[in-house]
Amino acid sequence: MSSVKLTNVTKRFGALEVIRGVDIEIGGGEFCVFVGPSGCGKSTLLRLIAGLEEISSGTIEIGGRRVNDVDPSHRGTAMVFQTYALYPHMTVERNMGFGLLMNGMPKVEVKSRVDKAARILQIEKLLGRKPRQLSGGQRQRVAIGRAIVRDPDVFLFDEPLSNLDAELRVATRLEIAKLHHQLAGSTMIYVTHDQVEAMTLADKIVVLRDGSVEQVGAPMELYESPANQFVAGFLGSPKMNFVRLEGGITPDGRKLALSGDQAVRAATLGIRADALEAAAPGEGALAGEVSVVERLGDSDFVHFRTSWGQELVARFPNGSGARVGAALDFAITGQTHFFDAEGLALSGITLDPAQTAGATV
Amino acid sequence: MTDATHFRAPRREGFFTPRRRRFLTSVVLAVICAIWVYPMVWMIAASFKPNSELFRNPGLIPIHPTFGNYVRAWTEAHIQRYFFNTLFVAVGSVIITTTSAALMGYVLGRRPMPGKWLLMGLMVFTVFIPQGYTIIPVFELLSRLGLGQSLWGLMLATCGQSIVVFTLLFAGYFTQVPNELDEASRMDGVGPVKTFLFVMLPLAKPIIVTVVVLQSLQAWNDFLLPLVITLANPALRTLSVGIYSFKGENFVDWGGMTSASTIAIVPIILLFLFLQRYFIDGLAGAVKG
Repeated sequence: MSSVKLTNVTKRFGALEVIRGVDIEIGGGEFCVFVGPSGCGKSTLLRLIAGLEEISSGTIEIGGRRVNDVDPSHRGTAMVFQTYALYPHMTVERNMGFGLLMNGMPKVEVKSRVDKAARILQIEKLLGRKPRQLSGGQRQRVAIGRAIVRDPDVFLFDEPLSNLDAELRVATRLEIAKLHHQLAGSTMIYVTHDQVEAMTLADKIVVLRDGSVEQVGAPMELYESPANQFVAGFLGSPKMNFVRLEGGITPDGRKLALSGDQAVRAATLGIRADALEAAAPGEGALAGEVSVVERLGDSDFVHFRTSWGQELVARFPNGSGARVGAALDFAITGQTHFFDAEGLALSGITLDPAQTAGATV
Repeated sequence: MTDATHFRAPRREGFFTPRRRRFLTSVVLAVICAIWVYPMVWMIAASFKPNSELFRNPGLIPIHPTFGNYVRAWTEAHIQRYFFNTLFVAVGSVIITTTSAALMGYVLGRRPMPGKWLLMGLMVFTVFIPQGYTIIPVFELLSRLGLGQSLWGLMLATCGQSIVVFTLLFAGYFTQVPNELDEASRMDGVGPVKTFLFVMLPLAKPIIVTVVVLQSLQAWNDFLLPLVITLANPALRTLSVGIYSFKGENFVDWGGMTSASTIAIVPIILLFLFLQRYFIDGLAGAVKG
């Protein structure tokens, strides 16, 4: 069980600062996911931990040992690359054992380690094949197998699923979750831009933006109480709806009954799609014209356009009968989020739906 | 295909059915091919004719087939010695050229290096200088190194002729190899030398084969350079120079010359037959790159 601790880590490429003073603490055995939009520095951060890039300042500790100047191969980490990076001319078996053989491990032991990893990943039958004879999912397993044979303290995954098709991605996501369970005690750090992967896999999510940490926490903690508007908008699908407020009044002049100390500072209201319900005409907190209805089978995503031209989305139960072009009113029945003018979350504000309904100024 | 569909199929081709078209194409190509290989076939045919028959019998089939030309060329005309001289120079220069071009290409293609583009520019510039202009300085250089009168000197000088092109071929190939492979082997704790030997070099196999074939051809067929270097020392002659010496002042031993030429081209043909698949891959890869 190795913990990973980053203290005030920065990384500059020339004058460009891509990682700005990041502090993260990952406990031993934890599954930590770095998530953020592309270009936020999450992959760079992973490469810094791996040692493939040198940090510009700060410290990285793995298992309590400072590894700033330690060679990548001696950090006790193993990496699974986005493109798999399998050696094309070697068989699966040799791909997995290559590093160990080159470092002088006896062949018998390499073989037993490779066999064991192959068993875990169910790729025993593929050991004699070359990477080009494998499907995307199989290559991914081999890449993971190559990491497993090294018996690392920390696994590093760099967007491992992004080259797979949708179905396989879901299946492999499950495999990775199982793997974490099987290799109990291994710390895993996983980089993705896909918030669903982050939510489903992580013990701990680190949300990054522009090289800085926006929020760290357990998935549901981040989902339910995001620290700011960015995190709120990034996690959850469909995206959270944001509505501008001025003194508790929506852009089309509906007055929301807000209470709480910080209610006056609320500049943005955040509501997830499942917190909206259909309301009688003229009685909702929001209203709009339905522009698209997406039927998912178990529920419908009703996209609607408000009178001030914003696209919002509500999740209705299956068979809601919502039709494109219909004018609908929406009541806020679920959890609400409020953010100040800087986008920071405000706490202790409540919305009284009963009073809100239909109230216009 | 059922009869019905056959019946309905439109027949616009008229005389030129696909089969006839294919046949015609084959005939045209066969004629071109025959013209193309005629000189070589003539040479091989002539090598089996006695000198007396050579120009009296214009046909390709010898009337009195003989191995005499081969025996004479191999022993009396020292083709045996020239053959092994050439083999020595070719094999040696192939080893040196391939090794050094691969190493230089790897650095130029994959490693950040100050002045890389200037260096590459200078290298490309040398490609445009014709061989004839540098041959005297090269000879002078070899003489000063004490290699002017040896096969080692000839081998070294032969290496220099196309090495720039080979280096660029390797550099171009190595640039395309994804960085993740380097990184994966770094994570595996494999050092740069082993990464080069076990990861990069095997991937460059098509280029290696291309370089081996081209350099073999170059070394085997080169005439000017070995002519100059072996001018004072006939024992060092290579095949191409040796074959030239069949042309005496008053008499040309055509039988000996053609049999020597046949001996000379056999290894090259064999080499190509064995390596052609990789060779074509390598050239295609270089063009695609």
